[in-house]
Order: sequence, then C-alpha cells, then structure tokens
Amino acid sequence: MPREQQLSQVFVEIADSLIDDFDVIDFLQQLSVRCMELLDVAAVGILLADEHGILRVLAASDERTRLLEFFATQHDQGPCVECFQSGQPRTNIDLTASRITDDWPQFATQAQDIGFVATNALPLRLRGRIIGALSLFQTDPAPLSYQDVSLAQAMADIATIAILQQRTLAQSETERGQLQYALTSRIVLEQVKGILAERWQLSVDDAFAAFRRYARNHNLKLAALARDITDGTFDTDAIPHGVAGTAM
Amino acid sequence: MANVLRRLRDDGPGGIAHAMTAGAVALGVDGLAVSLLMEDSGIELVACSDESAQTFEDLQFTLGEGPGPDTVRAGIMVWVPDLAGVRPDRWPALAMESAGLAVRAVFCFPIGLGAIRVGVLTAVRRTPGPLSSGQADDALVLARALTARCLGGGEPRRQDPDDRVSRDSAHELQQAVVHQATGMISVQLSLSLPQALLRLRGHAYGSGRTITDISREIVARRLRLDPNTDGTEPAVADKD
Repeated sequence: MPREQQLSQVFVEIADSLIDDFDVIDFLQQLSVRCMELLDVAAVGILLADEHGILRVLAASDERTRLLEFFATQHDQGPCVECFQSGQPRTNIDLTASRITDDWPQFATQAQDIGFVATNALPLRLRGRIIGALSLFQTDPAPLSYQDVSLAQAMADIATIAILQQRTLAQSETERGQLQYALTSRIVLEQVKGILAERWQLSVDDAFAAFRRYARNHNLKLAALARDITDGTFDTDAIPHGVAGTAM
Repeated sequence: MANVLRRLRDDGPGGIAHAMTAGAVALGVDGLAVSLLMEDSGIELVACSDESAQTFEDLQFTLGEGPGPDTVRAGIMVWVPDLAGVRPDRWPALAMESAGLAVRAVFCFPIGLGAIRVGVLTAVRRTPGPLSSGQADDALVLARALTARCLGGGEPRRQDPDDRVSRDSAHELQQAVVHQATGMISVQLSLSLPQALLRLRGHAYGSGRTITDISREIVARRLRLDPNTDGTEPAVADKD
C-alpha cells in the first residue's frame, strides 16, 4: 500500500479513537504499532516521565515482557533520557558505534542482544514542557529520512494529545493529574497480568494477550476492566484463556 | 523538601507528624495531612500539621464525601482551588458543612501504587487559588515517599547523605515485574495486593536480595513464597 494511503487510514483511525471514550494505554499501544508500520521500524515505545523526571514505559508496539523491560532500561541511559532532558530529537543513532556502547553500555548491549542496530528518540511536547519520549528501534541500519522524522514527531504529538484527552474516573482537572493517571493505569495493568497469570497458570504475556483480546472483543477499556478485576467486581472466568490462539 | 523526606525516614510514630509540619512550610500551604485506608475501619487521619487540616479531614471522612474520599476511591489527584466555587451537587453534604471552615482551597494526592490504594495526602490553604507547578511537583514527591514508607516496612536502611535511598527504593517499586509478582502472590496466598507487596518486600529483605530479583524468580515460577510466614518478615506496615 502506498504510504499516502496508509497515512490517511491511520489518520482516520486516530481521529475515530480520539473523539470516542478511549482507553489511553490501548490507544498508545495501537499508535505504537501504526508508527512501527508507517516508519518501517522494528519496535516503538512510548515513555512518560514521572514526578521525579524518570521515564516510565506507558505502551509499546509489542507488549511482551522482554521488550517492555528493555524499554524500561531507558529510564537512566540512552537517547530517550537525553531527548527528554534537552527537548531535542535524537535521531539515527548507531547502536554499534563505540561512543554509544561506551556511554550507555547496559542499554547498547541489551539493544544489540535483541537485534537492534539503530535507534531514534522524539520528545513528547506539551507547551514548552517535555513530558516523555517516543522511542524507535531499527534492525536495519538505513537512516530515517527527514520526512520520516517529521512523521515520527507528529506521532509523538498525537501521543501527548491522547494522554491529555483521556477521560479519567474522577475527571481530573489538571494536566498533571492526567499524566499521573496514565502512569497509574499502566501499573494496574501489570498487577492484573500477575493476577490472571496465576489464576490461569499461564505466562504473564499469554495472560495479558487473552485479557486484551477479551477487552477489545467486548469494547471494554483495558484500564477500567483491570480496575474491576483488582477490586474483585469482575469474574475473570468469563474471559476465555485456553492456550490455543493465545500466541500474539 | 529533601529535609522533609529525611524526616519521613525517622523511626517511630513522630516521623510522619514531623514531616507534615515541615512539609506544610516547605510547600507553602497552611496545613498538610495524611489519612490512610485501614483494612477494616475505613479511612483514618494518621498525621496532620495543624488544626485546619485536621478539621477538614475529619469532616470529609465523617461525611464520606469530598476531594479526599474521591482521591482514595479513584487513585487520582483531586484539586479544589476554590471550595466556594464547587457545584453544590458534587459533594452536597460537604457543601453544607464546610461553609464555616477556614479552609478555602484543598489539594489531594493519592498515596498508593496502581490498584494498591493506601491513602491520601491533603494540602489545605486559607486562601483560594491554584498550586504552582513547583508546589505540585513537591507534593507528588512527598506522596510517593509516603507510599514507599507505608508499603515498605522493614526496608534495609542505609546511611546516605542525599536522597539516593528513597529514590532507589521508590524506583524499584516502579518495575513492571514487581507489579506482576505482586499480582501473582496475591492469588497464590489469597492476600490483598498491599499485603502481597509487603510479603514480597519482606522476603526480599529477609533473603538480602533486591525486590526486583525476587520478583523475576516469582514471575518465572522458580520461586513460590511460603504461605506460612517464614519469620524473617517484618510486621505489616506500621500505621503509626
């Protein structure tokens, strides 16, 4: 499919989601997948800073724990931290270059173990403030073009808008409340992964896949369903979780 | 604020109370209070800096409505920069009762971790108006430190002149694998999420390993905590 057509499809999809009552984590996860497809990169993550200014993973193109944990290593090293601190994009970084492996040994080693050879970080901007970063990884060293980088920045801006647009349970009046609520929702999801994995005797990744499939099929918001599960007000036996078809 | 956080690490029931008094000064508000959700008796005021904060906390938790109860229920911050400007139907009983109080602005910050709701930090002022973003950041940092204190009984206490300790432990409490392990333990041992997290921390403390390490073992099903307390665990969080 030509990129223009791809882009207009993604645009319609995003607009549809944002006017609706959407789940911010699920939206950002799907945005990460679209970003990965449009830019032809291997993995995309969205990180949001907490009150200490430490970057936390909100969503990624692939929810498997290994990748989430890799994105989480970027809280103290890597281009996302630099991008977050400076507010400037850090693009086309060669992960095999000695300067990178010297500066960020843990990050560079883990990235290479997964097979990533290049990375990019774009700021999530909110009126002159930087609230997080969009993180892209490539298994192919071909640099992103100027147009690619502009598109990635647009996706980062959409992520910011979505985080501020989410409808929270208590309709928090403040932007800071919105950011905090998004981070809290992510933690609840992880707690629910553990609960379901143990109830169903599955891996946390398989348990989450079944949970998300159920939520999407029934038009339920991940965060709301997760909260009902932790409160004990939702019977998790209602969620099909047989091993068949749980592979993502 | 670093000073306030250090007071929080003081042992004994005075730690939180002193942090409230010092915290109110550091934040530039008239009163600061901490109320915690108790397993069987609902929300209770645990410490406060002055009478204005105490009166307001008592009122909203007696009535069961207001920014504090909303914060605990939803796990989200609720800010009321001008109590007089709130629609009466939002908290009808509170609207009737609060007219005579000195408090004009209330800012509530959740204490907790994901679905684990521990309580609420409340800042009050006698004059209406918003918090500055610096004040809001400081209050959030204080709420996070209170979370670590309430959920972290028995944490090894190291000597460190700056705030590395609280920051490190607060960071560990943010790892995805720790949340996943907490969820698993709650099912394995039929515990609430906060109790499961305390067991996890207790085990880490008793075995001298990090909570992240232990969590990985649990999520990989290489380790299962004994349903009978192994004796190395600290008592459930001191509520002062």
